[in-house]
Amino acid sequence: MSINNDANEQRPKSTEVKIERDRNFWKSFDELYDTPEYKKAVETEFMSSPLRDEFKDEGTSGFARREFLKLMGASVALTTAAGCIRRPVQKIVPYVKQPEEVTVGVANYYTSSYFDGQEGFGLLVKSREGRPIHIEGNPSYPLNGSAVSVRAQASLLSLYDPARLQKPFRNLFNEKRTNKETVGVTWEDLDTKVVAQLQKGSVAVLTGNIVSPATNAVIGDFCSGFKAEQYSWEPLAYGDTVEARYDKAKVIVSIDADFLGSWGSAITSNRQFANGRRDPSQMSRLISFESTYSLTGANADIRHRIKPSQQLDVVLGLISLVSGGSTQVHETLGISAEAFQKVAEDLKNNRSKSIVVAGGVQTQTVDAENLQIAVDHLNSILGNHGNTIGARSNMKASYQSLNSLIKAMNQGSVKTLIIYRQNPLYTLSKSFGFHEALNKVEMVVYVGDVMDETASFSHYVATDNHSLETWSDSEFSRGLYGIHQPLIRTMYDTRSFQLSLMTWAYMAKVGPARIQNYETFYDYLRAFIKSDIAPKYAKGQDFETFWNQLLQQGFVGQVGSLVSKATSGSISNIKKSSKSANMELVMYAKSHIGDGTLANIGWLQELPDPVSKIVWDNYASISLKAAEKLKLKQNDVVELTVGDVTLKLPIHIQPGLHDEVVAVAVGYGRTKAGEVGNGIGVNAYPLAQVGQNGQPILAGQNVEIKKTGKKYELVTTQGHDSMEGRQIVVQATNKDFQKSKEANIHRHHVWSIWSGHQYNGHKWGMSIDLNTCTGCSACMTACQSENNIHVVGKKYVMQGREMHWIRIDRYYVGSPETAQAVFQPITCQHCDNAPCEVVCPVAATVHSNEGLNEMIYNRCVGTRYCSNNCPYKVRRFNWFNYAKLIQSPTHMSLNPEVTVRTRGVMEKCSFCVQRIKVAKQKATQENRLLKDGDVKTACEVACPTQAIVFGDLNDEKSRVAQIFTNEKRAYTLLEEWYAKPAVRYLSKIRNNDEVTAPKGAGHA
Amino acid sequence: MLKRNQLVLGNKTLRDVTNDICEPIERIPSKGWMGLFLAAKGLFIFYILTIAVVISTGMGLLGVNHPVAWGTMIITFVFWVGIGHAGTLISAILFLFRQKWRTSVARTAEAMTVFAVMTAGIFPLIHTGRPWFDFWLFPYPNQRGPLWVNFRSPLLWDVFAISTYATVSTVFWFVGMIPDLATVRDRAKNFWRQRIYGVLSLGWKGTAKNWSHFEMIYLILAGLSTPLVLSVHTIVSFDFAVSGLPGWHTTIFPPYFVAGAIFSGFAMVITLMTLVRIGFPKFKDYITIDHMEVMNKIIMMTGLMVGYAYGAEFLIAWYSGNIYEQYVFFVSRAFGPYAWSYWIMICCNVVIPQIFWFKKFRRSIPVMFVVSIFVNIGMWFERFVITVTSLHRDFLPSNWGQYAWSMYDTAILIGSFGMFFTIFLLYLRVFPAISIAEIKPVLGVGRDDHEHGGGH
Repeated sequence: MSINNDANEQRPKSTEVKIERDRNFWKSFDELYDTPEYKKAVETEFMSSPLRDEFKDEGTSGFARREFLKLMGASVALTTAAGCIRRPVQKIVPYVKQPEEVTVGVANYYTSSYFDGQEGFGLLVKSREGRPIHIEGNPSYPLNGSAVSVRAQASLLSLYDPARLQKPFRNLFNEKRTNKETVGVTWEDLDTKVVAQLQKGSVAVLTGNIVSPATNAVIGDFCSGFKAEQYSWEPLAYGDTVEARYDKAKVIVSIDADFLGSWGSAITSNRQFANGRRDPSQMSRLISFESTYSLTGANADIRHRIKPSQQLDVVLGLISLVSGGSTQVHETLGISAEAFQKVAEDLKNNRSKSIVVAGGVQTQTVDAENLQIAVDHLNSILGNHGNTIGARSNMKASYQSLNSLIKAMNQGSVKTLIIYRQNPLYTLSKSFGFHEALNKVEMVVYVGDVMDETASFSHYVATDNHSLETWSDSEFSRGLYGIHQPLIRTMYDTRSFQLSLMTWAYMAKVGPARIQNYETFYDYLRAFIKSDIAPKYAKGQDFETFWNQLLQQGFVGQVGSLVSKATSGSISNIKKSSKSANMELVMYAKSHIGDGTLANIGWLQELPDPVSKIVWDNYASISLKAAEKLKLKQNDVVELTVGDVTLKLPIHIQPGLHDEVVAVAVGYGRTKAGEVGNGIGVNAYPLAQVGQNGQPILAGQNVEIKKTGKKYELVTTQGHDSMEGRQIVVQATNKDFQKSKEANIHRHHVWSIWSGHQYNGHKWGMSIDLNTCTGCSACMTACQSENNIHVVGKKYVMQGREMHWIRIDRYYVGSPETAQAVFQPITCQHCDNAPCEVVCPVAATVHSNEGLNEMIYNRCVGTRYCSNNCPYKVRRFNWFNYAKLIQSPTHMSLNPEVTVRTRGVMEKCSFCVQRIKVAKQKATQENRLLKDGDVKTACEVACPTQAIVFGDLNDEKSRVAQIFTNEKRAYTLLEEWYAKPAVRYLSKIRNNDEVTAPKGAGHA
Repeated sequence: MLKRNQLVLGNKTLRDVTNDICEPIERIPSKGWMGLFLAAKGLFIFYILTIAVVISTGMGLLGVNHPVAWGTMIITFVFWVGIGHAGTLISAILFLFRQKWRTSVARTAEAMTVFAVMTAGIFPLIHTGRPWFDFWLFPYPNQRGPLWVNFRSPLLWDVFAISTYATVSTVFWFVGMIPDLATVRDRAKNFWRQRIYGVLSLGWKGTAKNWSHFEMIYLILAGLSTPLVLSVHTIVSFDFAVSGLPGWHTTIFPPYFVAGAIFSGFAMVITLMTLVRIGFPKFKDYITIDHMEVMNKIIMMTGLMVGYAYGAEFLIAWYSGNIYEQYVFFVSRAFGPYAWSYWIMICCNVVIPQIFWFKKFRRSIPVMFVVSIFVNIGMWFERFVITVTSLHRDFLPSNWGQYAWSMYDTAILIGSFGMFFTIFLLYLRVFPAISIAEIKPVLGVGRDDHEHGGGH
């Protein structure tokens, strides 16, 4: 044999090597007397090898000399060898001046904040070499903790969006204000023109909700200087002036309020909701009456389907039952008297520990105001105000404000309109008359960063910084003050909104001294904090200490106590004005697309809708019965007519929907969002009507459906909606759970003739609690951002080629009318007996000594046998060279710690192995062993309900090991297949007081 | 004793045999041959271009996806490997069993084997995501540790099985041809022809020593080839059977695959032989209706075996009590979205060959040609059913999907026939399509019954 035998010796058994020495010659006394120190020194001299057991070296930070020399020699050799191969020369330049806080290759984390118009988060943004690459929640932040919404995470991509404007622009119009041409201008030019116009007076500023006290101060200063009027409005603003404490409630009744998905502070609500249900023996109950199929309905213990026009009936019915009367409402609702009575009983039995909420686009019917009055009333007779529910004061946006702006514009009393990041020309239907009114304004100045539908009809676009480029602050909740740090210097020639206002005030010499004096908004902010914030929060600290603490911690203060909500009207005056229609329209917002602002982000478009699992489209959802009645099938294109507006939309048959409801999502059909978002879906906002008081009506309108005979392919990532009687998601009720904690879990007797792998160091494992998982999908985006996962587009999702490493399977249980939805996040299960490892011919997927199923991308030739043999089908294949399609500057968002996969290789969840490595390095540096919680996967961090727990199974005290050994609800998926996954699921409990009928014949 | 029909018709003399068989390779090609060749060659070039596009752009051009990660290429690979089996069976196993009727079809059947394995062998190489790294599938000493292949993977066994089979059957085929090549050489009137066939005939002189060695090596190679007939498709079936996928994880697969392979192989032999008989009318005396009938009997028998395997799979699925396996067989195969492919398979492989119970149809060239085409279609669909219907609906219903058939799938499938027929047509023009040396001994020239026209 000519093969070097030494090479086969993979692991030098250094500890066993006996070194025979010649005692005649000695170098030191230690050697002569063979002291223990000397023995040790001799042993370690030959110990280092790149193949050594990693676990052994943890906690010893000494750098082995031989290893150092070896590696250095190898790298020199490699450099020499690389010189011989012809490769394109790509020069990298080191820092000429190394920034003090940057160590190349080591990530920095900065606190910041994010606000999307409804919900705000304290952030911890990961930055590598000056580029923000991953957004997480600030773990100590009282509202969201480490969790963040899908949109907040995806806002990272909007920073690197090629469609983002790079300098200020001017639009040239003809007489009719059409036929425009866009030209770039300089800031000096823009400022001169805008200031000259502003000095004419009659200025209006249109903003959304603003939760930044400093920004509000700037706007206030600006308005006082120019005698301007501020209007605030958000397209989806309605009924979100409520602050609820879902963790304190025992019974939650939601009337079309999607508080877990698209309405209000959804992530905070998810967190609180899950905290109230973490222990199944005393979990809260969620009862949902809804006209769409929202995430809230999907997670409800008891769900009743209603029409939008019945929302008020439900509340009025409950009011009369709770206050001891009787009602016949259940008949109109088609719900049994007992079931309806039960809801009232539950509420009555939990006075001051219940919550009744209604809100969101779905409740913007003709009766919307009455509905709020009724809900307030119901909460007050239940004594919930101040206990579980209160007012949220920072949500000022309203349609009243917008209407008064339109009125002012029509009266000609607005000469200059500054629009800050609102898109009324897209989000308002024609009946509001916004566009006509806008034409009467002499100059429209748009402050935003995309040439969107509204920006292209404004005279000047004062291009705003991205949120990650801006200093700011936040006050999401009373008493909780947060800082908003920029993560990167402005990439282009842009200027923040605040600085624009400051500059204009300075040039016109108007307004209070502070708006004129400071050169940047940063200076303004610091001064503002010094004068307005520090006195309240600093508790006697000097300002610099306070400032540093604020930056480091990200916030000061804590969530204040609930403020009772003032009842907005009297219950006795309520008169229902809506009439029930044969077919009612209900519009809703999807939790990830929202109002459509972020439509140009591929991550969001390719993220499946949490319930329908459809990507890249919106559609008209109807029930199966309605479809049969109208002779419609999935993907049939229909014409929806509301009043005089007609839209063409494909049909999606949604189980669990009311038979007389058509549900359509807003936020689609953008025409000027950018390359990705343009023309995705159909814009449903035009279907909105204007009520008598100018209020928008987005739900409950009579809608006519006409079949067109055309087809349009809707694409879903969920192959099949039923579990086919298999043990996949185990669901039990609270009654079942009382009887047995492992109710409905069928355990399999499995055995093997092989003893299995031995894990002497760590053994990584994960548990996923299906009871707290709400299906919000934050984990999917977190994974996508962390692991550089590509977006493939609708066409390829249709062919089954989406790349998500973690997906959330959604199954329906029950009949098509009453279908319950259950969710199950699926990642690579990191099986101990991994079927994929056996069949790979080139050993590209192998088992690590820590139980990870590792995918070696550069060894993979792409036979795809592993995917075929994977019972969970979690592997994703690079069918094309997706990496080539990443446009500049989007490549800057890539995580340098994770390989960007090339064409033709398989990829899959790695349990965030890069995070494990970083944590180990850190532990080694700090000369300690890894402890539980040091390693958190991206999905675990982002999960608002903390359903995912990751850790070391060999560490008995770790959270995950505790769950594996003690939790009776834990089961492994496809246990009988004996792949021995390292992931366990905890069964879902529905708190609905029912008893699951025992299954017929069990299977082996 | 039962009188057997003459194996060679037309009262041929030894000289006639040589003349008849050498004629196609010594004359200017006919128009028919030219037409077929140009068509096949055009298809072959189209095939090469398709492969080039797929390799340069990505496997995504084909319909393979998640969950159906194997598709047309693997299906067609198994199809062609299967075709190859009849050749070795005829030339090796029937040789060992002293079945004299094999002599006139053995050469062409064996050639078909070699060409089918060549056609098949391309697929595993081009179906990978990064074909330029295919050499990693071979265990060779390297500087990566060394990093060896994973000997537990059935795909690796496949690499060995197919390459061994390709080598042995090529050698067997070539060695069997040596005396005939010498005949062609001796008849050659052209310098280059003499040189080329001279080199190919390895200096054959026709001495007794030559013959003795030849018979010996032929026997040994036949012995070596025989187990390969069983092993190759057994190992190909392991690609499926060793995995854990319901519908693939079946112990019946090895015999079922071998029977199916012989079934499809004989069908292809029938297809080709009917064409050869039409193209070279003189060959009708050598490849007689009797030969065809015998092969039709084998088709019918192996068809029944395959049908039995289809039934047995259902039985075992039911008996196992495994809900996933039961779902695959009782729901998704027979009644799922791909039920049409399942019923095409049943029709073509089980129902249609039953026509051969009737002697009239067994001996009718048009009927057997049509049946053989159906069997070929049916056997392609068998592999389609196994590959696609098992993958498209497995354990977790959320993964379920469909194969996204594209025009590249069609091009690859059709193109592979272009490759096969190009090589096969060239073979007919270059090598003696019937073994002259083996036909002559079965003529009966010089035997008693030949002269007297009667048996004892």
